[in-house]
Amino acid sequence: MLAILRDLIRYNLEFRIGLFLVSIVVVMAALSVVSPYPAGDVYVVPPDLPPSTAHWLGTTSRGQDVFWQLTAAIRNTLFFGIMVAALSRVIALVVGLLAGYSGGWIDRVLMSINDTFIIIPLFPILILFYFVLRDSMSTPLLATIMACLGWAYDARLIRSVALSLKTREFTQTSIFSGMKTHEILAREHLPYVLPIVFSTTMNNMNWSIGIEVTLAVLGFTDINTPTIGGMIYWANQHTALVAGIWWWIAFPIGLVVMTFVGLFLLAVSMNEYIDPRSRLARMGGGR
Amino acid sequence: MSGAAEQAPVLQVRDLQAHFRTHYFGVNREVRAVDGVSFDVNRNEIYGLAGESSSGKTTLIKTIAGLLKPPLEMVGGSARFSFLPDWDAVGRAPPEVVRAIRWRHLSYIMQGSMNVLNPLRRIKHSFRDFAWRHLGGSKAEFDLRAAAHLERVKLDPSVLAAYPHELSGGMRQRVTIALATICKPEFIIADEPTTALDVVVQKDVLGMIRTIQQEMGSSVLFITHDMGVHAALTDRLGIMYAGRLVEDGETPEIFARPLHPYTRHLIGSLPRIGDTEQREGLEGTPPNLATPPPGCRFHPRCPLAMSVCTTTVPAMIETLSGHRVACHAVNPGMAA
Amino acid sequence: MSALLDLDRVSKSFSRGGLFSTRRVAAVKEVSFALEADKPEIFTVIGESGSGKSTLARMILGIHTPSSGQVRLGGRDVTTYDRRAFMAEVQPIFQNPFEAFNPLKQLDRYLFMTAERFGGASGKTAAEEQADVALRQVGLSLAEIRGRFPHELSGGQLQRVAIARALVAKPRLIIADEPVSMVDASLRMSIVNLFGRLRDELGLSIVYITHDLATAYYISDRLIIMQKGVVVEQGPARAVLSAPTHPYSRQLRDAVLTPDSAGAFRAIHSRQAVATPGVSS
Ligand SMILES: Nc1ncnc2c1ncn2[C@@H]1O[C@H](COP(=O)(O)OP(=O)(O)OP(=O)(O)O)[C@@H](O)[C@H]1O
Ligand SMILES: Nc1ncnc2c1ncn2[C@@H]1O[C@H](COP(=O)(O)OP(=O)(O)O)[C@@H](O)[C@H]1O
Ligand code: SF4
Ligand SMILES: [Mg+2]
Ligand SMILES: [Mg+2]
Repeated sequence: MLAILRDLIRYNLEFRIGLFLVSIVVVMAALSVVSPYPAGDVYVVPPDLPPSTAHWLGTTSRGQDVFWQLTAAIRNTLFFGIMVAALSRVIALVVGLLAGYSGGWIDRVLMSINDTFIIIPLFPILILFYFVLRDSMSTPLLATIMACLGWAYDARLIRSVALSLKTREFTQTSIFSGMKTHEILAREHLPYVLPIVFSTTMNNMNWSIGIEVTLAVLGFTDINTPTIGGMIYWANQHTALVAGIWWWIAFPIGLVVMTFVGLFLLAVSMNEYIDPRSRLARMGGGR
Repeated sequence: MSGAAEQAPVLQVRDLQAHFRTHYFGVNREVRAVDGVSFDVNRNEIYGLAGESSSGKTTLIKTIAGLLKPPLEMVGGSARFSFLPDWDAVGRAPPEVVRAIRWRHLSYIMQGSMNVLNPLRRIKHSFRDFAWRHLGGSKAEFDLRAAAHLERVKLDPSVLAAYPHELSGGMRQRVTIALATICKPEFIIADEPTTALDVVVQKDVLGMIRTIQQEMGSSVLFITHDMGVHAALTDRLGIMYAGRLVEDGETPEIFARPLHPYTRHLIGSLPRIGDTEQREGLEGTPPNLATPPPGCRFHPRCPLAMSVCTTTVPAMIETLSGHRVACHAVNPGMAA
Repeated sequence: MSALLDLDRVSKSFSRGGLFSTRRVAAVKEVSFALEADKPEIFTVIGESGSGKSTLARMILGIHTPSSGQVRLGGRDVTTYDRRAFMAEVQPIFQNPFEAFNPLKQLDRYLFMTAERFGGASGKTAAEEQADVALRQVGLSLAEIRGRFPHELSGGQLQRVAIARALVAKPRLIIADEPVSMVDASLRMSIVNLFGRLRDELGLSIVYITHDLATAYYISDRLIIMQKGVVVEQGPARAVLSAPTHPYSRQLRDAVLTPDSAGAFRAIHSRQAVATPGVSS
């Protein structure tokens, strides 16, 4: 694993840039632990100060230090993205592999559920949830809802790979070597779908962060938990741009764009590395 | 066979070299799958290529057909088609030129039919995708023509409505042969087109390839490891071993007087109906082309190997008229 | 005499076509034959492509359930077997040695797994020992195979590893579906000779599916010839192939190309000559 990382850093420019950007974002998130101000508190510093040595990225109209507020916001936003991605990956993998491998009625049932989720309109549902749940809408709950809505497309992709793997002769060899269904899925087929899982993880994080930011900007989330979207929401509430408090908007947007680009580059470069065919070629095979 | 143009070879391959070059994260690997191959294919003939699995047959014809995708690279030499006089290899011509000749002048029946047939499209759609453009006519006319052509490979027209996975391997292979021949191209490259077929269908298909070839006066480069097929079909024959041509000549001549020890083994190892004599396979394994043996690449398995074979590459010499062979035992003292 | 394998009027049909225009395709029709338990033999199934050979193999292996009829192993319907118990008795070998193992995984895993699950090996050393024994039976050894990936071996070696893996389970019956179609003549002979040794030395029965009549003649004891899902001729291999009686069998035999069939398609100058079945060989 370490060797792979070393190789990627040494030979892949996209990976280097992506890693650099994501590291900055992660370091920011980590710094939230040593923040001098509790993230939820307001009016702890003088409001509306432009960037200076005392407050690197300035302060907000609500009397928060933008830099330290950002550390907490990006941490929560990242957690949110990871949570959604991890949960939805698990669902997509289980549904996709099982449907593709089992075939028959299991496949039909799973895929009709899957198709329902693909055509459900996303935004109305999320907003509906917000109006139904109101104050009990917490970040983990939103993440769970998003995960339930964000697996279907990838599950279909995984299923199509699983379908073709099922007809490969080595699957029969595995069966006649005494492997059980779950062993075949986990050991024989998983390596072939992992590239899909990895590349979609980063993309799914980007997707969920994007939606979270949008929802937050519109005020449809728990705005008391600091997130990137939440910061932009409050800045808008205080008409920060009109008032010339540009740093309140520019830095959160800059950071979230950095996250997007970083994750995207990681996805692209790791995808190439994990792809079974290129992996095989690296091992010296491939016909 | 009259006139100078008739006699000029359609395909001239000279010292062709094609390697698989992989550069993955600092590890360089070079598989020399085709290493200095020269031969001609004349108009109106079927040239056969034989050799065991992994001897580089597929790589050779992929290079000739210009299907060069990384890691495969054409490293040196030339493969010149008479209908493409301005370039010394299809792979070196610009893509629009290649697109214009593909299917009409040069078609390629790939090994492993699933590679050509899109698993998600019915056979008739595959036919339309490939050939409608070239043949024209209305959709209904075209489908009729496709159905009629499928009948020549002994396939029921209902196959047009099937998906590839619903057909058995042999049926799929016949579909791809039909696809490659429907435009009646002048040069057909066929990679193991009958290996998945049973003998009866194989015979029909070989007859069909011969008929189409004669109707069109086209040339065929035909690959198979089945020596029986070569004996029955091809006009001239080249034997490949480990990325090199070791012998070539008129097919009857090769069967009557095989000179290279490997060719002799290929012909002698076949069992026949009515003959119960015990036969053995060739000892040893085909060489790894990333680190091929020096000298004659056959020497680790050759019953006649001498010390010169381990150090010096034998030259390809026209030992008998029109019959070339690369072996120190046949041509003493001829280094490449 | 009790039967090891007994096919009783086995048929299988598939439906083909779209949602509305479904057609039934009969792949295998009423095939019956039996292999005796105390008389190991190589039983060959010959037939044109699409004649249902693979479908037949998949029914014997219990991968497909027959549409009608019964496949019995040791007198018992294979569909009622516990799959594990069944696999300890019957093992497959497939057509394409390069596809038989997961390209991303080491080969020895399959051998060890089979030894632990079917060969009765308990623990790593016992499994290794069994794998080594089986590999030696096919002319390889564990030392050569350990830790290797499929692409590091040649087709012939891979096919022998596939056979060794089947042997580790100590089956009574091996179903080999076109095991030599993808390999060239010299490897073909080493694999076919190996089948002969397994029969003679280990007392294994082998169902050998092929369209290579020459190796069928060379190695097998009895054979059936199938056409469009139906058995058209059966009997002792050499007798049938030397003097086939059914027109299709004759056509099949006459279509075999050997180095002696020189120029069967070379001197043809008219289309009629090609279309005529049974051009002199
Ligand atoms: N994509 C690839 N990357 C690296 N090496 C390759 C690749 N494809 C083929 N080779 C190697 O090139 C050599 C020739 O392969 P090729 O497929 O041309 O053989 P072949 O004679 O057609 O065999 P077969 O009858 O099995 O198809 C082999 O050593 C093979 O391992
Ligand atoms: N899964 C399937 N779905 C539909 N038809 C099939 C399927 N498998 C096989 N067939 C049909 O059954 C017939 C026999 O096929 P198969 O057993 O593969 O032949 P063989 O192995 O002798 O080449 C063919 O007509 C084929 O199209
Ligand atoms: S050159 Fe030597 S090793 Fe090569 S085939 Fe001839 S005798 Fe054998
Ligand atoms: Mg090939
Ligand atoms: Mg088959």
